[in-house]
Amino acid sequence: MFRKKERHSDPLIRKLMKLVGKEHVLHRQADLVAYECDGFTLQRGKARAVVFPGETKEVSAVVRLLHRERVPFIARGAGTGLSGGATPLGGEVIISLVRMKKLLRVDLDNRTAVVQPGFVNLKLTQAISKDGYYYAPDPSSQYACTIGGNVAENAGGAHCLKYGVTTNHILGAEVVLPDGEVIRLGEDGIPDQPGYDLLGLITGSEGTLGVVTEITVRILKAPEGKQTILAYFDDVEDGSRAVSDIISAGIVPAALEMMDRTAIEGVEAANFPVGHPLDIEALLLIEVDGIEAGFQSEAEDIVDVCRKWNVREVKVAKDEQEAAAWWANRKTGFGAMGAISPDYLVQDGVIPRSRLPEVLNKIRAISQETGLRIANIFHAGDGNLHPLILFDAQKPGEKEKALQAGSRCLKACADAGGSITGEHGVGIEKKEEMRFIFTDEEIEAQTRIRSVFNPDNLLNPDKLFPQPGRCAEVKQEIKEQQGLKV
Amino acid sequence: MAETGLSEKRTCSDQGLGHYLPGDVPDANKWADCVHCGLCLEACPTYLETGHEHQSPRGRVHLIKSVAEGKVEMDEAFMDPVFTCLDCRACETACPANVQVGGLIEEARGQVRRAVPVTGWRKQMSRLFLEGLFPHPERVNKLGQLLRFLKSSGLSSFARKSGLMKLLPQHLNLLEQVTPEPGEPLRKKYQEVIPAQGVTRARVAVLTGCVMDAVFGEVNEATVRVLTRNGYEVHIPQGQTCCGALHVHAGEREAGRKLARRNMEAFAEADHVLVNAAGCGCAMQEYPELFKEEPEMREQAEAFAAKVTDVSRFLHHRGFEKPKGEIRARVTYHDACHLAHGQGVREEPRRLLQSIPGVEWVEMPEADRCCGSAGIYNITQPKMAQAVLESKMEYVPEDVELISMGNPGCMLQMAAGVLQHGRNARVVHTMELLDRSYREGDKKEV
Ligand SMILES: Cc1cc2nc3c(=O)[nH]c(=O)nc-3n(C[C@H](O)[C@H](O)[C@H](O)COP(=O)(O)OP(=O)(O)OC[C@H]3O[C@@H](n4cnc5c(N)ncnc54)[C@H](O)[C@@H]3O)c2cc1C
Ligand code: SF4
Ligand code: SF4
Repeated sequence: MFRKKERHSDPLIRKLMKLVGKEHVLHRQADLVAYECDGFTLQRGKARAVVFPGETKEVSAVVRLLHRERVPFIARGAGTGLSGGATPLGGEVIISLVRMKKLLRVDLDNRTAVVQPGFVNLKLTQAISKDGYYYAPDPSSQYACTIGGNVAENAGGAHCLKYGVTTNHILGAEVVLPDGEVIRLGEDGIPDQPGYDLLGLITGSEGTLGVVTEITVRILKAPEGKQTILAYFDDVEDGSRAVSDIISAGIVPAALEMMDRTAIEGVEAANFPVGHPLDIEALLLIEVDGIEAGFQSEAEDIVDVCRKWNVREVKVAKDEQEAAAWWANRKTGFGAMGAISPDYLVQDGVIPRSRLPEVLNKIRAISQETGLRIANIFHAGDGNLHPLILFDAQKPGEKEKALQAGSRCLKACADAGGSITGEHGVGIEKKEEMRFIFTDEEIEAQTRIRSVFNPDNLLNPDKLFPQPGRCAEVKQEIKEQQGLKV
Repeated sequence: MAETGLSEKRTCSDQGLGHYLPGDVPDANKWADCVHCGLCLEACPTYLETGHEHQSPRGRVHLIKSVAEGKVEMDEAFMDPVFTCLDCRACETACPANVQVGGLIEEARGQVRRAVPVTGWRKQMSRLFLEGLFPHPERVNKLGQLLRFLKSSGLSSFARKSGLMKLLPQHLNLLEQVTPEPGEPLRKKYQEVIPAQGVTRARVAVLTGCVMDAVFGEVNEATVRVLTRNGYEVHIPQGQTCCGALHVHAGEREAGRKLARRNMEAFAEADHVLVNAAGCGCAMQEYPELFKEEPEMREQAEAFAAKVTDVSRFLHHRGFEKPKGEIRARVTYHDACHLAHGQGVREEPRRLLQSIPGVEWVEMPEADRCCGSAGIYNITQPKMAQAVLESKMEYVPEDVELISMGNPGCMLQMAAGVLQHGRNARVVHTMELLDRSYREGDKKEV
């Protein structure tokens, strides 16, 4: 029944409450269950508490306390991550940054903005669009994900083909190191500095090197205009060839996205359908932008390329509303899988563009062998595949099968000369798959870098790299025990 | 968050039910659709206020599922997020996977109410409102008078202290502005059938609603005039009763079922059941949800739900007479949650209002963000309701003169906001403006 007394029985929780205020610490069973995973639901764990600092000073104080008490902890933004980065493994304190959600400054002259880590990605563009500016990195989760989480994951998005991913738009950051010390990286407005690129190191470090508490980002002048093109193909290979041809023709579209038949079935069954035909094998959604004369002729060239590759239908959005509807349909594509399958696992491989048809064939084979449907949504322009493995966790064994299929998709990407993650990160999900692309020595070199910042491995422990028990460190120990020189 | 008076907890952990009680269990199909993507987070007013995952749609769905899995009990920590939900359905608009969060929450509330009966002042409150008031039109009709009495007698401070009428005193003030005369209930004023003006296009039945009829009698009158003018013969079935929305929101599903049955009977003859209160319309369209376990009733409820339409949508879809009287004012529109998110009615009322000559249209940013009224939520969860209202008021354009909407609860809440912020705007119902324009037009012709 009521556990009013129990509330304070954990001295750590009492101390946390003292630091940030009672109402900013969660610790009841139901409250913690809500934090047992992020957007990757296949693995879950229970945190010891969730704490909501309101400013950098509080973050630092909380981190200091946890460091002193040797309690592991995790930073968390909106929890939209897809690799379990913000998921507790058991007993960690989650530091949620959602209370720190202010847009601190906008400097149009120098084209920068300063935000707190919990500021939601899309809100930045919304806040500056009236002045003709925007923030380029646009992950499909931008309605909800935080810029702090974007920095940690080095998030990409549909429009990163032309403008680059998060790391290309970060100019400075304030970081609380795992012992509570507050440091500043990068000089506001000055893009490059002498010395090591620590900012670049923090970006994409998946919350294992420090807690980001303030971010200076680059903002861009909105293009004069843009055009959105939609092309339907009866053959995936034709679609893939069209992608290759568009890029090799020297056109750099702002975005170049592809969905296959199963993905289209999903988005059309979900909340934002736009009437795509259900019997096509692939669609391309392409956006070109810039100055009027430039993008008009690019659009024409793209239409020609599509025709060359036997497009069934190709059309240009008649107005902004139509383009927006096409984009909403695409950007909600992952969630849309809920409409055709109880569960899905999204994978995130990268391949050289030219190998697209071959890898797609391999994925199809994996689907047939496992009996699980796989939908493909991807940033085709930069070869970032998102195979969505559809399964039903209620059916015994399906979850494991899905994980296996996912791993095999990544292997196919790695074998084609690609990588195991384009933008969703490694987290807990792809730790083992790191071995597909790194040798033990390479992994060890990276864990050593982590140790410089995070020597006790208290911050987001056991993420990003395979268990040391199974990698170089252990081998080294064994060798040392055997008296061998390493 | 909210303190709750709980009595002895009774739960059972039958196979497959987790900690739920048998019967009317939250529908597994509804939560299975949720893929935990979080795209709903920023749409949710209670998440925006708290930043707490369990106060978000995703968190709530996850907890409801966790009770079925036996991981979470139906205790206070579960009740809190389930009852702090505004039932505003903004998450349903945002969710790519079409998860019916609202339906799940209502089912969960029904479970909680059965497992953990309310005690203390909350029980008195819910008794007063749900059993004593809303099912009895004649009593609700007296509400307006009661409020006036409370104010003039100085009793309102007592009411405030007792905690249950935190917002009512403000609403008292605004009532005087919105309804200068105590509105006369429609059911008394009119006969059961009001003939169309001119040629009869069709027969329609109108739900008079409890709050609408008692507090905003004028809106009902305006609605009837607008309909008859457009050639509809209006029926006001005497057997009708409260729609039951508030009961279902409060988890009193059995009471909701009773009211639903009575209304389905009262409106049996009608081809069209028109509603001018968003919350009532939405609830009546969702009657089938209440009869999940009674296939026959469910079928009837589905047939009934198909007849229920918001009056603005009905007029817009069937074509309406263009209003001619000028209303020179800057007008904005607030989307009631149960119109925009609940019924997908967004464009229709805007088109009606924009057709009025002289209207200078000002679109409200985030027009479909909840105002915090949410049935009797502003009474049961005054703190959250006030926080949500404060956020809403930031979006109301500074210089508008009229704020139109289609729900009595919102009208009270928004009027309270306008008053607190010392704005000059008046809160009106879409039907009132349309009616006024028609009448102004007539005057000119004479
Ligand atoms: C439907 C959907 C679509 C998506 N589309 C894309 C896409 O197009 N491109 C893309 O790149 N990603 C995408 N993602 C993945 C996800 O949205 C991104 O990884 C995003 O950057 C995570 O942000 P968050 O605020 O939710 O972070 P969280 O999930 O809360 O955290 C992610 C990681 O960052 C760490 N972290 C969070 N905040 C901080 C901080 N302030 N300091 C240090 N570490 C921190 C956490 O510890 C964790 O390891 C998608 C996810 C979903 C559900
Ligand atoms: S109905 Fe409203 S308050 Fe409830 S979860 Fe959905 S968005 Fe949040
Ligand atoms: S309710 Fe919908 S939007 Fe929210 S997490 Fe679930 S699937 Fe995503």
